[in-house]
Amino acid sequence: MKRFTLFVSLLVALSLVLSACGGGAVPEAPVEPAEVTEAPATDAPVEEAPAAPSVLKIANTANITTWDPIASFSTEAAYMANVYEQLLRINPPGSAEQFTPLLAESWESNEDGTVWTFNLREGVTFHDGEPMNADAVIKSLDAARTSGGASFIWWMVESIEAVDDLTVQFNLNASAPIDLIASSLYGAWIVSPKALDTAAADENYWANGVEAGTGPYVIESYVPDQEIVFQKYENYWGGWEDDQFDTVLVQIIPEALTQQQLIESGSVDLVTSIPRENYGSFKDNPDYTYFEEPSFFNYVGFFNTTRAPLDNAKVRQALSYAIPYEDIIQIGVKGLGTQSRGPVPAGVWPWSPDVNQYTYDLDKAKELLAEAGYEGGGFSLRLTYAAENATHEAYAPLIKDAYAELGVDVTIEAIAFGTQWAEAKNDPANAQDMFLLLYWPTYSDAGSDNLWSMFYYTEKPFFNLSYWNNPEFNALVDEAIELTVSDPATSQAKYVEAMNLLVEEAAGLFFFDTKAVFIIPNSIEGFQYNLNYPFVQYFFYDLRPAK
Amino acid sequence: MRQLEFILRRLLTSLFVLLGVSIITFFIARVVPTDAASLYAGPKARPEELARIREKLGLDKPLPTQYAIYMGELLQGDLGNSISTKRPITQEISDRLPATLELLFAGMFIAMLIGVPLGVLSARWQGRPPDLFVRFISIVGVSMPAFFLGLILQIIFFRNLEWLPLIGRLDADMRFVSPVTEITRFIVLDSLLTRNWVALKNALLHLILPAFTLAAYPIGLIARMTRATMLEVLEQDYIRTARAYGIRDSVITYLYALKNAISPTLTVIGLTFAFALTGTFFVEIIFTWPGLGLFTTRSLLNLDYPAIMGMTLLGASGYVLINLIVDVVQSWVDPRVSLN
Repeated sequence: MKRFTLFVSLLVALSLVLSACGGGAVPEAPVEPAEVTEAPATDAPVEEAPAAPSVLKIANTANITTWDPIASFSTEAAYMANVYEQLLRINPPGSAEQFTPLLAESWESNEDGTVWTFNLREGVTFHDGEPMNADAVIKSLDAARTSGGASFIWWMVESIEAVDDLTVQFNLNASAPIDLIASSLYGAWIVSPKALDTAAADENYWANGVEAGTGPYVIESYVPDQEIVFQKYENYWGGWEDDQFDTVLVQIIPEALTQQQLIESGSVDLVTSIPRENYGSFKDNPDYTYFEEPSFFNYVGFFNTTRAPLDNAKVRQALSYAIPYEDIIQIGVKGLGTQSRGPVPAGVWPWSPDVNQYTYDLDKAKELLAEAGYEGGGFSLRLTYAAENATHEAYAPLIKDAYAELGVDVTIEAIAFGTQWAEAKNDPANAQDMFLLLYWPTYSDAGSDNLWSMFYYTEKPFFNLSYWNNPEFNALVDEAIELTVSDPATSQAKYVEAMNLLVEEAAGLFFFDTKAVFIIPNSIEGFQYNLNYPFVQYFFYDLRPAK
Repeated sequence: MRQLEFILRRLLTSLFVLLGVSIITFFIARVVPTDAASLYAGPKARPEELARIREKLGLDKPLPTQYAIYMGELLQGDLGNSISTKRPITQEISDRLPATLELLFAGMFIAMLIGVPLGVLSARWQGRPPDLFVRFISIVGVSMPAFFLGLILQIIFFRNLEWLPLIGRLDADMRFVSPVTEITRFIVLDSLLTRNWVALKNALLHLILPAFTLAAYPIGLIARMTRATMLEVLEQDYIRTARAYGIRDSVITYLYALKNAISPTLTVIGLTFAFALTGTFFVEIIFTWPGLGLFTTRSLLNLDYPAIMGMTLLGASGYVLINLIVDVVQSWVDPRVSLN
């Protein structure tokens, strides 16, 4: 009985507190929670004080799948690129120089591009104090090419050897643009050899945000799903100017709308993602600069060419003519895209304006379908896309509608990308008819990546989920890859020939190349968009507060 | 003594429940046509790399063997490593559990604080404006989806009024202003223990919106349940007798009536508590609250099956535990409820 009285009186007390808070309590309670008023008044102003002026606050969507610089092959690149460096950095298209030397000061190759020599920068130290030299470079790149997440980019490398303490030589078994590969965002970081040794012995070494790069910033702390704090590396070889940021505070904010609210309220200095439908309000706002640039990304669709009716090129051509490309760009990305010319995004090697495109032409489509023996359609197709991707979700119904005009019935299935991908790879004969994909090259060579990865035939498909097998295409791509360094002009001509063959044969649908949008407040200077590093929104070292 | 026996028996049966849950989740997670190795290595991994990972993760073994290995490790407290973060699941959970619990406790505290008195109020003024008002509030609370309510609250209190913070547990620059020393990882508690008033105020302000969003559903439920049982009790003879004796109305309501009405409400509170555990998932996403919800959502989207397994087991244990607590508390509050 006593216990119970106690319990009830507690409840009574609670309800009294509640009524003291103003009865309904819903909007009232937040104003002044009882406990808060007890905070000493003297402390209050401290909270109001702005953070130190040299702190840059960024809201970023990018999450970390690993802090292991060798294994890294995902969105964490946004942070890695501020902590680690490659030998070279590739500049945006149209720059005076193609590369900015980072850890290499100069480099050259032999005539046919099979031996490359890099002279390293002197006096560079890793964040853990180890010197950066030929041994360190070799250890990092050997690790990257044997066990790295993007190890395949180095497939042609036979060996890397030290010529002297500050010179490394790459010996290749096939001609390849090592300068491009060495500037890759994945599989090309130079890491302290001491840290690599420790990591080899301890699998979880990197897990909590440990790093050992040479870059301008060091990671001070990392809280998963929450925040990363970067501090400037005092001994950075590039030196420091007074107005660069000492500290960069990154908050991981997955929701674009939340990011928008944060930047509008001034809670952060930069964001990486704002809902597309709200771009307009920033475009017209004099407090922001709006950048709309070509990107590394494109949307493609694969036709399953292993079985009827999609094994017939005429059917695939008909289906290519039936796509309302402009509508798809409008609906899919609110007009922020351009119709693709084959699988290489505009602005990336070996893109060319000479590659053909399909137009939206229903009559032509019907005619081709009739020629192929499918007058009035009469077949159905199963189309899959990654459920995580809202763009696919937006435009996929347009394909269904368009094909319905041809008498072709499309069943759309949104499934998790991993599932979609595993299903497509494991059993082509029973796999989907159409596979929508967002693609981007690993490094700035969409010939050896996009063209090879997506349409070159290998027995076990890598990304060739059309399962298309065209020996002529394969031969052209092989030749083009071989000539990339020694004769870029011929190489590109071969690529163009290959792409036109691919477009003619319509193994896939080439919807659009996306545009990247950046919205930068005028309070921050120094932002430069670099198409080649799509996952690095900001190089902190370049940024400064506006004067 | 009988109570102890009851608890032990219940714990034992709970083990079977959890075993069942583990079997079902394990096999469902594997039936999904996906390749865990390719999830682990990323979409661009080459076949050799995949084979290496399959071996490393033990995916090359038959399913029952994999299950046996999983259970063996589970008994040693090892839930395996997350595929997407590559960190031990136990670490992921223990890092995030305090944030979720803090939100959950705050939400349930608000729910009881508001829900029970609202129900009492409603019953006392049956059919009159206060009752109508409370019934309206509880219907809104029960039927409004958390993600919608959360966004509305953000727009009002962050965007328009600028009274409350938008997201997170603390201002991001609190680390420079007045860093919180980690003791229990419950920020409110830690800042209280270290007398860090600036952080305490900040943490409480951050708690208000998400906790209230989480509380909306339980408030409605608790208020309605309390109202219904109170009405029943207020009709009874002993209440009429008490009135006839001229005992004050508030004493009758709170001391005599609520005491007998509270028992079914307790069950509801317990069940909504367990329900709110999953409710935190929505709330955490809206408020970027760094707890288990954010982690679980990400795991589901990435088909991170060890993480999904871990979270399912944790959720199931939560339900089982809360049910047990409810039963015990009920028998403690209301001796008419026996523990058999």
